[in-house]
Amino acid sequence: MTIAAIAWNTFREAVRDRILYSILAFALLLIGASVVVAGLSIGQESRIVKDLGLASTTLFGTFIAIFLGITLVSKEIERRTIYLIIPKPVSRPGFLIGKYCGLVLTLTVTVGVMGVMVFLLAALVDGVVTPALLIAIGVDFVALMIVTAVALLFSTFSTPTLSAIFTVAIFVIGRLSGDLTVFADQFADQALNRAIWVTYLALPDLGRFQFGSRVVQGLPLAPADIGTTAAYGLAYTCFLLLLAIAIFQRRDFK
Amino acid sequence: MSPLAPRRLAHAPWLAGVLAGAVLIGVVVPLHRHQAVATKFDLVEERVWLLPPAGALRVASLGFHAMAADTVWLLTVQYIGSHLIGDQQFPHLRRLVETVVDLDPHFVEAYTLGALFLNYSGARVQIALDLLERGHRANPNRWELPHDIARTYYLELKDYAKALEWFTIADQIPGRPHYVPRFIARLYAATGHRETALELWQAMRDAATSDWVRDIADREIAKLERQPATPPTGGGATKP
Repeated sequence: MTIAAIAWNTFREAVRDRILYSILAFALLLIGASVVVAGLSIGQESRIVKDLGLASTTLFGTFIAIFLGITLVSKEIERRTIYLIIPKPVSRPGFLIGKYCGLVLTLTVTVGVMGVMVFLLAALVDGVVTPALLIAIGVDFVALMIVTAVALLFSTFSTPTLSAIFTVAIFVIGRLSGDLTVFADQFADQALNRAIWVTYLALPDLGRFQFGSRVVQGLPLAPADIGTTAAYGLAYTCFLLLLAIAIFQRRDFK
Repeated sequence: MSPLAPRRLAHAPWLAGVLAGAVLIGVVVPLHRHQAVATKFDLVEERVWLLPPAGALRVASLGFHAMAADTVWLLTVQYIGSHLIGDQQFPHLRRLVETVVDLDPHFVEAYTLGALFLNYSGARVQIALDLLERGHRANPNRWELPHDIARTYYLELKDYAKALEWFTIADQIPGRPHYVPRFIARLYAATGHRETALELWQAMRDAATSDWVRDIADREIAKLERQPATPPTGGGATKP
């Protein structure tokens, strides 16, 4: 119950934040503008509306996750409200998980709005609905859950500015980490090769959540692939939350 | 400062607003328009020249490869458009299309349209064929690629044996056009080449999503219609 109360409170606080509406308005504008841009593409309207829509959903979802996530804990410390919460019968892990769930709820609503707009625009341009688009957005949402957990992790021990820098860095590395495996194969040195592989496995591979291009090309989605990817994302999120809890437990708020 | 100064300053926001509007309409817009018109063609050319290689774009696009491919495709369309109304030469078309398909190997229309313009505007048939064959290797389930390879062998190179080989591959892929088996039959019989060519061009015109492609097809149909209807002798594929 406590976790649910904290989550609900975090959600209410987030939806009052003007930055959320600014990002959402900009995202919806860009998704809507994709129809105009698509008109210049010689028969590729459907493809461009879907590609641009999916990319906007991911990108602006990430912005929301970062901008709201980095202040989740630091704002409580800055306002000194944490000193009122900690003495109450609320465990620190419960507090962090509640905060995280509140932000994920906010993301569900905002990504949901963007996703529905992409889905409807694609149906309007194509003349047929593409339910697989919603699956692609759903899988990508798991990647956003990882980014949110990263932002929360940094928020437990760092300032908002540094947390933003670190989270953006992890996002960029995560989007490109798949290329590390290609680099690893180019080195004959076994130790170096293994070191690159270990780095790749330790970092989040955010690129593997991109099922959108398969959907846009009309290629089939393998349920096993989707399941494995979602399971990987959820497991990585758990790992990050446990790390955040471990750090947060050690912080002194007396 | 006199006591009247604050009252005079009270009009300042309106005055500043009116002045801002006057500067925008009277100076900024004319200057901007002049520059935009003067550099309209150069702007596309400059963007084409400065386009980074696909490898760099893959990294810079942070994994949003499909969106990066779409952006380069829009630039390609602008490039084709600006040269179609100009010199009708496309020296950078190959690089542009290869960048698009390097970023997204499943962008089938980039292979087909790119090859079409390489063929009919640049007369670079072998490059067009290489592009289409690369597309077929990346997308073995799409009939459009073997179909266009067959069409190129048939119409451009008059290599009917190769055309038959590729039409046969297209015939085995679901969704292929209804006329493909008829063409295969005609190729085996080594007859009706003018009708086949006409039908191929008409199919391209009917499926065209742009006036550019439609114009190419119309031009070729008109050329064929001026030719005598008698089928050419020989040159057909040999039935195995």
